[in-house]
Amino acid sequence: MKPFEFIDHTADVGIKAWGSTLTELFENAAIGMFAVIAGEEYKAQGSKIEKKIEISKNTDNLEEILVSWLSELLYIFNREKIYFNNFKISSLNNSGIKAETNGVNIGLYQSNLYTEIKAVTFHNLKIEETADGFNCTIIFDV
Amino acid sequence: MAQAWQGKLEKLDNFRWKIPPSYKPGMKVPGLIYANESLLPGILNDKALEQVANVSFLPGIVRYSLAMPDIHWGYGFSIGGVAATDPDIGGVISPGGVGYDINCGVRLMRSDLTLDDLKPKLQILVNELFNNIPSGVGSSGDIKASAKEEEEIFLKGAGWAVKRGYGVKEDLEFTEDKGSIEGADPSIISKRAYERGKNQSGTLGSGNHFLEIQVIDEIYDEKKADAFGLFKGQVTMMIHSGSRGLGYQICDDYVKSMVSCLGKYSINVPDRQLACAPVNSPEGKAYLASMKCAANYAWVNRQCLMYLARNVFEKVFNKSWSSLGLKLVYDVAHNIAKMEKHKAGGKEKILCVHRKGATRAFPPCHPDLPDAYKEAGQPVIIPGDMGTVSYVLAGAIGSMEETFGSTCHGAGRRLSRSNAIKACAGRNIDKELFNKSGIIIRAKTRSTLAEEAPEAYKDVSEVVDAVHGAGLSTKVARMRPLGVIKG
Repeated sequence: MKPFEFIDHTADVGIKAWGSTLTELFENAAIGMFAVIAGEEYKAQGSKIEKKIEISKNTDNLEEILVSWLSELLYIFNREKIYFNNFKISSLNNSGIKAETNGVNIGLYQSNLYTEIKAVTFHNLKIEETADGFNCTIIFDV
Repeated sequence: MAQAWQGKLEKLDNFRWKIPPSYKPGMKVPGLIYANESLLPGILNDKALEQVANVSFLPGIVRYSLAMPDIHWGYGFSIGGVAATDPDIGGVISPGGVGYDINCGVRLMRSDLTLDDLKPKLQILVNELFNNIPSGVGSSGDIKASAKEEEEIFLKGAGWAVKRGYGVKEDLEFTEDKGSIEGADPSIISKRAYERGKNQSGTLGSGNHFLEIQVIDEIYDEKKADAFGLFKGQVTMMIHSGSRGLGYQICDDYVKSMVSCLGKYSINVPDRQLACAPVNSPEGKAYLASMKCAANYAWVNRQCLMYLARNVFEKVFNKSWSSLGLKLVYDVAHNIAKMEKHKAGGKEKILCVHRKGATRAFPPCHPDLPDAYKEAGQPVIIPGDMGTVSYVLAGAIGSMEETFGSTCHGAGRRLSRSNAIKACAGRNIDKELFNKSGIIIRAKTRSTLAEEAPEAYKDVSEVVDAVHGAGLSTKVARMRPLGVIKG
């Protein structure tokens, strides 16, 4: 199963992500988002940083948790210039998500980053379950 | 991904097409699309029309879910979408109907310079602008504001910048809403939004944002051009930018919180990105007061960008900006929601007008226009792609009658970013444009150039002809690019 692929969107950018489990789907969606930011070939250089992420939210749908998860990573990327490349989710359910992540501290101007994601959107977002696992399509505003 | 539109679409005349409410159960009003025969195939091959139909689900929507000729697939709303809702009948406000880049907009500055004056200095001017105007992903700038001043930026908009010496009072006169929309409430902005907006005033950003040096190569309406201070052969400068990280975060905060309003207020919309709340609800009021902070911030940003550019002109031409005649023609917002007076059901009402990739286009004599433009109508600034042309239009009476005072906002994308990059693989877009048209381009990255290549966009002249033909706004002047700075 491939982790994600870019999909065409006229104004913005989208990915389709897959996972054999929901946890894997969420991890792959995060990998996909960082590939949108810097391209699939990008190898971040810099000092390594570990970060724990914990989001508590009570909701009846996991899509809201998915958007919150990706938005949180994007927020830290923008604030602390951490390019995340490794995600280990330890718990995921309707009341939130807990994860340990690894990233690299980068200086935005020295890198060849090129896509500024403004936000993760809810547009037509639906986590689908198939015989192989789970998938979803996410549109980012760029 | 794009699929041809399979639904109903009724041609009303050469510039108007209607999606009947019978297309989808739940549509409260028809969709109305402004276009012409040559733009229509592109529109039908996009997913935008489904979004026009989805927007018509919004509670309290008045008359039509509207789409301008530069319509293309967005998220929630289409880009090029206009929707007005009536608060008295439960009308809603939707953060997705404004977008993440709140008060993304365009300003046009004119000059007393002609092409001949500029030519020998063009290369150095473009380089100096590129070196002095912060651009690119997450760029931050030298224009710093203290926490107290940040609040003043949110409350007073461009007035703050003028007070700090980044412009003159006259600049405010020629900015939509005089660069400041009343009713902003900085106390309800999230800490994250504050943080993301910090130090980004006077920065261009990336993607489709730009600063462009142009020359007017065609005048369509001498009288209106004269009122706007425009003439053939004149050098102009256009700035396209918005509210940067602040706006993104405010929209993000409210889309997330309004998703839960859908259940609370029993609102049925087909796409969660259309999350909304009644204009008069606590959530609706809070969003509007927050959105206004970002709108005011964006006007500060464009004012600061113009200030930085004026400084560069002064340095390059060794003359003061005022003696170079660097005056603001107008500044328009094209991602915004406004409480405006319009006719609905035969009565004058205050409606909530969402413009998502659409420009206000008030006609002659409208009370909100500066005295100098009362007779000509509001200038509407329409950027094209970086290799073709841009336009100045003037608001026309048709916009008040049909589109809640709105018209198009640009060329509108034709190709997705990835398809644009594929189409430009192995090509040197900046060299091509220089060799073909003498346009000097400086960009932070090569991929931005490919994503923004001229063929990624619709023909802006077709878009402008459609709104002109439909009577929403009239053509005044056309500019061709000479030098472009991209994020």
